[in-house]
Amino acid sequence: MRRVSALVSVFVLILASLGLVLAGPGSAQPKTELTVALSSFSTEVLDPPLGGHLVKYYLSMMFDYLVGTTPDGQLSREGGLATRWESSPDFKRWTFYLRKGVKFHNGDEVTAEDVKFSIMRNIGKRSTTGYAGPLRTLIADIETPASDRVVIITKEPTLIIPTYLSRSLSTEGMITPKKYIESVGDDVFARKPIGSGPYRFVEQVTGSHIKLAAVDNHWRIGTPKYKTMTFRLVPEEATRIALLRRGEVDVVEVSRDRVKEVEKEGYPIHYRREEAILTMWWILGPDGRVGPSKDKRVREAMNLAIDRAEIAQSIFGGKAEPAAIPLGLSWSFKDVGFKQTPDMLYPYDPARAKKLLADAGLASGFNLDVYAYQLPGLPEGKTMAEAVAGYWEKVGIKTRLIPVDYPAFRKAWFDRSAPGMVGYFNIANRDWIGAYALLEKQAYSASKPSDTVNDAEIDGMLSQVMRQTDREKINTLMRGVYGRLRSEHLGVPVVYLHSPYATSKTLGSWNAGSVMYDLFFDVLASGK
Amino acid sequence: MLRFLVARVLQSLVVLAIISVVVFVLARATGDPLYLILPMSASQEDFDNARRYLGLDRPYVEQYLSFVGRALTGDFGTSLRARRPVGELIGERLPNSLKLAVFAMTVSLAMAFPLGVMAAVKKGTGLDRTAQIVSVLGQSLPTFWVAILLVEFVAGRWQWLPAGGIDGLSSYILPGFTLGWFVVAGLMRLLRSGMLEVLDSEYVKLARLKGVDERRVIWMHALRNALIPVVTFAGIYFAILVTTAIVVETVFAWPGLGRLAYEGISSRDFPVIQAVVLTTAAIVAVVNLGVDCLYALIDPRIRHAR
Amino acid sequence: MPAEPAAAVRPDAELIAPAGASPGAWRLPVFPLSVIGVFLLVALAAPLLGLPDPHEQSLRNRFKPPAWEEAGSWRHPLGTDRLGRDLLSRIVWGSRVSLAAGVLTVLLASAVGAAVGLSAGYYGGRVDAVLMRFTDATMSFPVILLALILAVTVGPSFTNVVVAIAVILWARYARVVRGQVLTLMQLDFVAQARIAGAGAWRIITRHLLPNTLGTLLVLVTLQIGYVIIVEASLSFLGAGIPPPTPAWGSMIAEGRDFVTSAWWVSLFPGLAILLVVLAFNLLGDWLRDTFDPKLRQL
Repeated sequence: MRRVSALVSVFVLILASLGLVLAGPGSAQPKTELTVALSSFSTEVLDPPLGGHLVKYYLSMMFDYLVGTTPDGQLSREGGLATRWESSPDFKRWTFYLRKGVKFHNGDEVTAEDVKFSIMRNIGKRSTTGYAGPLRTLIADIETPASDRVVIITKEPTLIIPTYLSRSLSTEGMITPKKYIESVGDDVFARKPIGSGPYRFVEQVTGSHIKLAAVDNHWRIGTPKYKTMTFRLVPEEATRIALLRRGEVDVVEVSRDRVKEVEKEGYPIHYRREEAILTMWWILGPDGRVGPSKDKRVREAMNLAIDRAEIAQSIFGGKAEPAAIPLGLSWSFKDVGFKQTPDMLYPYDPARAKKLLADAGLASGFNLDVYAYQLPGLPEGKTMAEAVAGYWEKVGIKTRLIPVDYPAFRKAWFDRSAPGMVGYFNIANRDWIGAYALLEKQAYSASKPSDTVNDAEIDGMLSQVMRQTDREKINTLMRGVYGRLRSEHLGVPVVYLHSPYATSKTLGSWNAGSVMYDLFFDVLASGK
Repeated sequence: MLRFLVARVLQSLVVLAIISVVVFVLARATGDPLYLILPMSASQEDFDNARRYLGLDRPYVEQYLSFVGRALTGDFGTSLRARRPVGELIGERLPNSLKLAVFAMTVSLAMAFPLGVMAAVKKGTGLDRTAQIVSVLGQSLPTFWVAILLVEFVAGRWQWLPAGGIDGLSSYILPGFTLGWFVVAGLMRLLRSGMLEVLDSEYVKLARLKGVDERRVIWMHALRNALIPVVTFAGIYFAILVTTAIVVETVFAWPGLGRLAYEGISSRDFPVIQAVVLTTAAIVAVVNLGVDCLYALIDPRIRHAR
Repeated sequence: MPAEPAAAVRPDAELIAPAGASPGAWRLPVFPLSVIGVFLLVALAAPLLGLPDPHEQSLRNRFKPPAWEEAGSWRHPLGTDRLGRDLLSRIVWGSRVSLAAGVLTVLLASAVGAAVGLSAGYYGGRVDAVLMRFTDATMSFPVILLALILAVTVGPSFTNVVVAIAVILWARYARVVRGQVLTLMQLDFVAQARIAGAGAWRIITRHLLPNTLGTLLVLVTLQIGYVIIVEASLSFLGAGIPPPTPAWGSMIAEGRDFVTSAWWVSLFPGLAILLVVLAFNLLGDWLRDTFDPKLRQL
């Protein structure tokens, strides 16, 4: 029997020493490599018209935009291929002057032909970016009078072209190489993308990582500090934090719940303040609002029943602030001169909520389904939905939680198969043009099926914005839209979210920027 | 032997055919992938175009036949989400799952053997009961919890081992152990009860009477007989490890088949869902076939059983 | 799809009347039986225990530690969860859900599986071949994927979890029962019953089924724990029993990000699962040792 025990001990010893020998110390990251751990990638297709949903930072490293932005989202002449742009007096011809001497990663020079090709390709039928549709309807033609000049001709006068083709929205403005794509085709391009950005593609293992390598010198950032940039997909938060502690990654997404824990250990936290508004809405019926939410009093009651301050404090760890305007993207407020006054914030008043429900004849409550799901950037989604449902229960509404994943909710929303039921999204904050783009999708009746508002007055105001080129008039209209969204309680705004990113202790300062779905890693890597 | 083999292979093909129908129906029941692929501003026309372009507007029977036809040539279609051939995606991920499963299996066998044999030999003692409880623990704890505890403490705080991803042999240890512990319990119990039965048999009693050295009795005579069900179950467990490691893959960021299936289901990516389930079933079939052959070789009576 | 080891089941009278306990087995499994007994009792008596409402949320009381910790209080002996709900109450009420899920699933699976196994074994021939192919197909389909697909299609629910697991689990029972029936069929008493003119139904229910009950019992006991664990994994992936229903698996999953900060949220439901599953596994082991250690393929 001693032999058996001896064998067992030997086995155990072998396993243990195997572990220790192979593990080695957690190697500190040499400063030439940057590794980022994310909870989700986009579609994992590295082709601009097909990728960039919700996550586009690796694309922003590989490709240049026609129009660049500062980290704060302001259009900038330094960040994009266009060194300047101007419009004709009738706002139907937009001319962009291109930077000279920019090369793609395969050596080809970037010319106006590439810009024209890219834009047409990015807004083509194959595109799945969010703003291809409106651009397709708007753009009549693109001319290339010189190798460094591009003219975009629109069917109607408009102000939106530079913003829509900039870094601040989606990927429509990413410039891709015409000759290369035409010679190898779309599929090969998606597998081996070539752009003109500061980092070129090295390898991708779907479900695992994307690896990029720096070019020697780039007009955007000089000589990049990091020779390689790797984006790793790590779905589980515990693992992301463990990787940070081990020094294997430099930047991680961390949830608001755990940020204090990580902060206490001395890891610098970067916040993108008011990165998104968490806003809820009622699903419409085929012809408009259906059910108790048709009554303005019910909508107001449902807003009054929620203790936003408490939700911000507890569920979001204080990294959130109560919101007052449904679909209210706060970065656009100052652009259009909209002032959110304190009285616009809904107080927590369940008593008044109950009274309003009684006035509406619903003293005994009604049935309400609340969809509960998680979203990228919103791991607290289900908790929040449960909490809000709980508040509504307290004023007599009989809620039922429907846990789904986002695609299932989106289907119910678009199909209008669950009218009167409630869903939500953390909508990325943006400037007024981006805000208009969002309102045009979600607050405009003609935009079936994504509309959530169905209000004739707002329809009128938004359709005028579309045709307006006078900023003052646009601002007035947008202010009107926001005002009415609030006064008619056309949604349930919850909080503005601040998003934390934890970095390794040696990373240094960093302005992660406040551009939708983008993190300014190029600022971090800048050698300027 | 050959007839046996042929019969088994044919049976496996029938099984795969059944599964292909089931998964085809199930995949399409999950919903419409277009809601994820197309942007919010897509019009009805865009939906119709996309449907036609992706071949989703053809009658179901036609879609199924085309799916099966191409699958037989190894073409599993194109992933709706990644726009790449599904075969390629599987080719990238399957080896990772296999490697992890092999590692986990090795660890489990290394642990189960001594535990099982010892528990049988020292039956009824505290050692036996402790061994039983320790191994049964492996089947009494939710996998993800064990995995997360290991990541939090062993990787994150004490920093003994890597937390995730595939980066050298040491990355296999935590996920391999998590997966393997579950198997250790089953194998250990089998070994223990198998050994118990044999140790009690006439054959062994006779050997003891003849004065054969006790160690030989245990390791040479008893163990060999106890091995048969262990082989069977090692096979089954291996197949399970490859195909249901999705929880471990999620926690340890391991790019394997399980994760691919999860992403496929989340994005309603029909080709991926179909291909992964079929691959899974094929693996199970192959492993079972192997086990049966091994079995038939060991015990000739099986070859001629019904 | 391994062939049932013919050598493992000896065709003699021992099958009809279970052998006595193998020498050295525990006389009576006191530990497992008492644990299961306590949990069952608590589960049944839950409404009478005067506990706080398991659904009552209070964000201000979020993540309160257990009573013996500094910030804890005896109002919430085991602390509160992420929405301020009392943990002890949720564990008690959750026992009803988790145990019900486990028991219902195995009962469903064993009923279907036994039916299929009995038919296949008794009728043999084509019936057997067809049924066995379906059984094999079922066994090759991964449980978790099926549950995920169902969750994504019709939304997660208690019923979905039970159905998804049972739909795959029955195959195991079918195989085992069929193996036993095949052996039983070779015995004299079946031939005699046939000669005496007994019909299929009578033979199956009167002669075959009772002799498989022992095996079924062992399998059922061993599998209850497995089902509870699988439910926990499903909750982790978002396909388990949905909130706000308290269920041990989803409670652990919800608390997994707070393993070091609010350790009680995952630990206590985890201990509950550990105890119950351990008890069922040990009980199943004892049952198997008692009834027939030759059933080692279980």
